[in-house]
Amino acid sequence: MARVAVVDYGLCNVDSVLRALSQCGAQAYLAHDATDIKTADKIVLPGVGAFDAAMAELTRADLISPLADAVLAEQVPFLGICLGMQLLARSSEEGGAAGGLDWFDAHVRRIQPGIDERVPHVGWNEVDHDESSPILAGIPTRTDFYFVHSYHLECSEPDEVIATTPFAGRVTAVVGRGTVFGVQFHPEKSQQFGLRLLANFLAVTA
Amino acid sequence: MAMTTESSPRTIRYCRTCVMPETKPDILFDDDQVCSACRNFASREDVDWDIRKRQLLEIVERYRSHDNTRHDCIVPVSGGKDSHFQLIRLLELGLNPLCVTATTDHLTDIGRRNIENMKSLGVDYIEITTNPVVRRTLNRVALEQVGDISWPEHVSIFTSPVREAVNRRIPLLVWGENPQHEYGGPATASSDQTLTRRWLEEFGGLLGLRVSDLVGRDGIEARHLLEYTYPSDTQLRDVGVTGIFLGYFLPWDGWANAMLASAHGFESWPTVIEGSLVTYENLDNAQTGIHDYFKFLKYGFGRATDLACMQVRRDRISRADAVKLVKMHDGKFPWTYLGVEIEAVLGPIGMTLDEFQSVCDRFTNKRLFVCDRHGVPVRDRDGDLVKVNDDNPD
Amino acid sequence: MLKTRIIPTLLYRDFGLVKGVGFDSRRAIGNPLQAIKVYEMRGVDELIFLDVRATLEGRGPDFALIDDLADECFMPLTVGGGVRGVDDVRGLLRVGADKVAINTGLIECPGLVRDAADQFGSQCIVASIDVRRRADGAVTVWTRSGTNDTGRDLVEVAVEAERDGAGEILVTSADADGTLGGYDLESIGRVACAVGIPVIASGGAGTSEHFVEALGAGASAVAAAAMFHFTEQTPLEGRRHIGAAGYPVRR
Repeated sequence: MARVAVVDYGLCNVDSVLRALSQCGAQAYLAHDATDIKTADKIVLPGVGAFDAAMAELTRADLISPLADAVLAEQVPFLGICLGMQLLARSSEEGGAAGGLDWFDAHVRRIQPGIDERVPHVGWNEVDHDESSPILAGIPTRTDFYFVHSYHLECSEPDEVIATTPFAGRVTAVVGRGTVFGVQFHPEKSQQFGLRLLANFLAVTA
Repeated sequence: MAMTTESSPRTIRYCRTCVMPETKPDILFDDDQVCSACRNFASREDVDWDIRKRQLLEIVERYRSHDNTRHDCIVPVSGGKDSHFQLIRLLELGLNPLCVTATTDHLTDIGRRNIENMKSLGVDYIEITTNPVVRRTLNRVALEQVGDISWPEHVSIFTSPVREAVNRRIPLLVWGENPQHEYGGPATASSDQTLTRRWLEEFGGLLGLRVSDLVGRDGIEARHLLEYTYPSDTQLRDVGVTGIFLGYFLPWDGWANAMLASAHGFESWPTVIEGSLVTYENLDNAQTGIHDYFKFLKYGFGRATDLACMQVRRDRISRADAVKLVKMHDGKFPWTYLGVEIEAVLGPIGMTLDEFQSVCDRFTNKRLFVCDRHGVPVRDRDGDLVKVNDDNPD
Repeated sequence: MLKTRIIPTLLYRDFGLVKGVGFDSRRAIGNPLQAIKVYEMRGVDELIFLDVRATLEGRGPDFALIDDLADECFMPLTVGGGVRGVDDVRGLLRVGADKVAINTGLIECPGLVRDAADQFGSQCIVASIDVRRRADGAVTVWTRSGTNDTGRDLVEVAVEAERDGAGEILVTSADADGTLGGYDLESIGRVACAVGIPVIASGGAGTSEHFVEALGAGASAVAAAAMFHFTEQTPLEGRRHIGAAGYPVRR
């Protein structure tokens, strides 16, 4: 049973993520410090809320280096959810001061809605992909997942964008490089296919 | 990840005339804190039973077979005291009913004997037993998902007779008592009298769940659920299926029904049944103890409360006695029911006692019970939960 | 395409779920866990859960209750009732809410929406606004389970909430609530025109056609309570109906 660290930095509902991972057969636990990160087979960074507040919390809890070591150096598989995906970026338009984890060459910007669209982007929307990524195995393209966000991740590397969703033109839905993944939507709230995605993540090996 | 709550325990309010708590679904307390069931019962005094009897005869006359090519009506029965009573009355009216029983999942010996006795009143009788393997899975899923082990049985009790009505083109269904007391059934409506799917949802007590929701869970497939499939509105209209509740047309009293039934060979239990106050009902299914217990966990009242209320309304026992009797018998953990041990009931549905206990915990409405400072309900000497209050404080 | 959401609403009071007419919620209808499980089996889009007496009884949210319910709820969940401070918001998110609805707090706790949005992000904050038509015909915002007339204009309060950082507006007609007679389309339309954030219509839904009307008036999502509790209609049927009317829905 894989030990999956769910980073708890006090900003959001981690229960749902824990439960969903447990349902998929993982031994999920809350990670608060470096030791918790070091002993993980896989790491999930959930997140809801403000970019700056999140980075400040991660800094205060001294989690940034341990995370970078585990994920980038030791290639412990990583999944960022919602804000957790946005934190992968270099910087964000939101707030202003803090930089992100800077693991992806990307920037977080506020969504610019099209005519008849409203922000936040909230509700179920299609995730379009070419069915080549292991993280989306068994999930047909155009499957709906649950989104709720006002900012989106703009990646400089198109290869790192695994899936997009039709909103405000297109916004990034899934990013990935090697064993590092990010999803803008909430798999733990997206019922059957959300659980499938988490199961796929659990199957990722270094 | 519970956080401490600052809310102090609320006090459960009870009806001032009977002992029903405010937590019963669909109940209303008026400004005098008297419940709607008591008010409805009181209004029975104003009922002209002769008029109701005549209405019944009219309806029966309209729907019976005038050329003896089919049965006059379908009577959904279980073999219990009410089934006996219904048949006795319908036979007195000279009708030729077809009895339809949807067998319970854990039919007791006494239940079977009572069914045989009922047949001997002189009726045609068919019994429909759904696939027991599938039924047991459905019961477990229903218990885990909605906290009601009897939900599948409830569905089949409503569905099988209606399916037969369509298959045999017998339009009239005659049920016994209607939980709402003052409703006669679709046949009494002034306009469209046909039974519909909508009617079932509203009056069938199905909790908003449909059998089709269960497809895909635990190996249940659509083809396993044929016998649970309610006929379509088109099929119902084609036959003109409708129904009445006998309890609207005849003054209905469970205790009196039991006496009449016993005089015709109906058998009761030798002692007061677990969680109940009587010996003469719910004798046909060993799972009933679990069903009643969950009612208690969710709403704070069980079968003993139901019965005590009925007898208080009829002035057979005082309210003070009712409070005492409820305290003695209501909400006890169903270690046995009709002498059948709980493990013998859980085993066939594939559940261990521990699993059962955790399902109980999930459906326990903690606000109704005394809890320790961690929010865990406390148990008394016998392992039973303790309500925050058993009667109004004043 | 972003799919239109149909959101069942569960109202909680004293010991269990309730429903009423015009916010007179005295009729107990059952066990919240049961209701949640049934909706979950049906794959509904989202759920709204409101503790309707919290503010009137002078207490905050019942975190233990929400914790228990959220444990069983694998759908997006919005929770409201008695939210008056940032700690209430944090507490609810922590025990399992995805979004927090603020109603009386919008008016009585100035700065709450701003603070909460700054901390947790706009997408967590739903400004819940109840309206009633007064005797003189004016439609105003009412708080405290629809018992207190603030005298304020609906659009003004909605625009203010958006400006302060709310992510969605839940507009509920207290008059239409429970009547099954249709939404207050005028109020919904006025708010939808005035704000750029999604508007959820609430109060009065009785048929799927009412959903279509509300969407036509500018709502992004539709909420319903009595319709799902007291009639045989289900959210899935509602989805099919609005899909047939041309709105994008989940398959």
